Amino acid sequence: MNRYCVGPASDIAPGSRKIVDIGGRSIGVYNVNGQFFAIRNVCPHQGAPLCLGITTSFVTSPGRGEFCFELEGEIVRCPWHFWEFDIKTGQMVVDPKTWTKTYDVSVERYDVSVEEEHIFIRL
Amino acid sequence: MSHLIIDCDIHASIPYEGLKAYLPRYYREQIETWGKRVPGQNQMYMNGGTNGSMQEHQPPRGQGDDAYLDYIRTHHIDKFNLTYGIVTGSDYGLHASPDADYAAALCTAANDYVIERYLSRDSRLKGSIQIPKQDPMLAAKEIDRVGSHPDMVQVIVSNGAERPYGNRRYEPIYEACVRHNLPFAIHVSMEGIGINNPPTGAGYVSYYAEYRAARTQIMMAHLASFIFEGVFVKYPELKVIMVEAGMLWVAPYLWRLDQDWKALRHQTPWVKEPPSEYYRRHVKITSQPLELPPNKELFLPLMEAINARDNLMFASDYPHWDFDSPFLAFPKMDAEMKRRIFYQNAADLYQLSAPESEAGGARS
Repeated sequence: MNRYCVGPASDIAPGSRKIVDIGGRSIGVYNVNGQFFAIRNVCPHQGAPLCLGITTSFVTSPGRGEFCFELEGEIVRCPWHFWEFDIKTGQMVVDPKTWTKTYDVSVERYDVSVEEEHIFIRL
Repeated sequence: MSHLIIDCDIHASIPYEGLKAYLPRYYREQIETWGKRVPGQNQMYMNGGTNGSMQEHQPPRGQGDDAYLDYIRTHHIDKFNLTYGIVTGSDYGLHASPDADYAAALCTAANDYVIERYLSRDSRLKGSIQIPKQDPMLAAKEIDRVGSHPDMVQVIVSNGAERPYGNRRYEPIYEACVRHNLPFAIHVSMEGIGINNPPTGAGYVSYYAEYRAARTQIMMAHLASFIFEGVFVKYPELKVIMVEAGMLWVAPYLWRLDQDWKALRHQTPWVKEPPSEYYRRHVKITSQPLELPPNKELFLPLMEAINARDNLMFASDYPHWDFDSPFLAFPKMDAEMKRRIFYQNAADLYQLSAPESEAGGARS
């Protein structure tokens, strides 16, 4: 397993994401409330660039006409068919058997002499 | 040959600024002072994506003549190496307007714009003739006006209608289609909007998912109407295409029509053959949006039941949000079936010849 640096942690503010290319793989790196997650930028349905979809919440309802917002900032909604995926697990919320690959992410000091923390992905 | 693809549903849009130059003065000034005055589906029902398109679809406008077309080429036609693409228009609001003369002017402008700005710029693109279905005589006039253009390959209307399309009021349209050897395409849209009847016989539905389901009901009504009104008996050369209404629902529907024909044939004795036979000979369906059975083993038997080898044609619906990828939408099937669905059925219907060169279609 190789370790790739994708840049300083400060580049990806909470609620935002960065799309990086690592060895020909397009990967979306998300900052969800200060925690980092990485998922493959490919929708398992028809190959859309999944991470170009909006980062949003999972909308639920106790009854008709009412809307609740759960998992705020933890959902990516595919830009094509709107299938919703959990950024933390890569799984489609309503059908977890459908999933995109996730990668281990860590935040580390690049070098003891450098103060700023960097994000690393392992694949 | 296996890589040849004809995409039967590409929505190349027309910006109003572009359309304006093709409209007569009266309507140009009317739009400038009053607005477009065309009913819209998005005011009634939500769509998907951003304004109905994929979220990342951001074509340039007004940056040189071919900027928009170049974007479509890069992001779709070249990307999937399409042999041909059938452009099907983008704004169907004119099919919902109560003003037939205005609808006719919008059709004329849209048809001229498509010919000049898209078809004459890329030999891979073929066009659909928009007609003012509100007035079948005016519609026939528009078909006669542009029907002999070699790159116009079909006539198109919205699925939303005032009467089912087999109704005799539409006969001038079918006579014109036959005269110019053009198939008649019905594309989902505008159900229950403007002058068109509600999206279901039970009335208006509340949400877009229901609305999409309702479209299939309307397409069913058109199909039965064509068959039992005897349109295919009167116009034996006429071909009809059902665009964007899905495909596998056709199987049990044909079983139902055949079953009822056996019992009720004597009420419509001009219908001489089982309905499925008229379907087989006169009707094509496009694939998108694919509805796939969860049990994969049902896929091929259902494809057989809709006679997919001869009657189904691939469509992507680019750049709309419910796009079906030419490479990834379909489950596996044998090479011959794939060739027929992705290329040959459409090539035969639209009389498109195999490309001489495989390297692009830009015309200078």
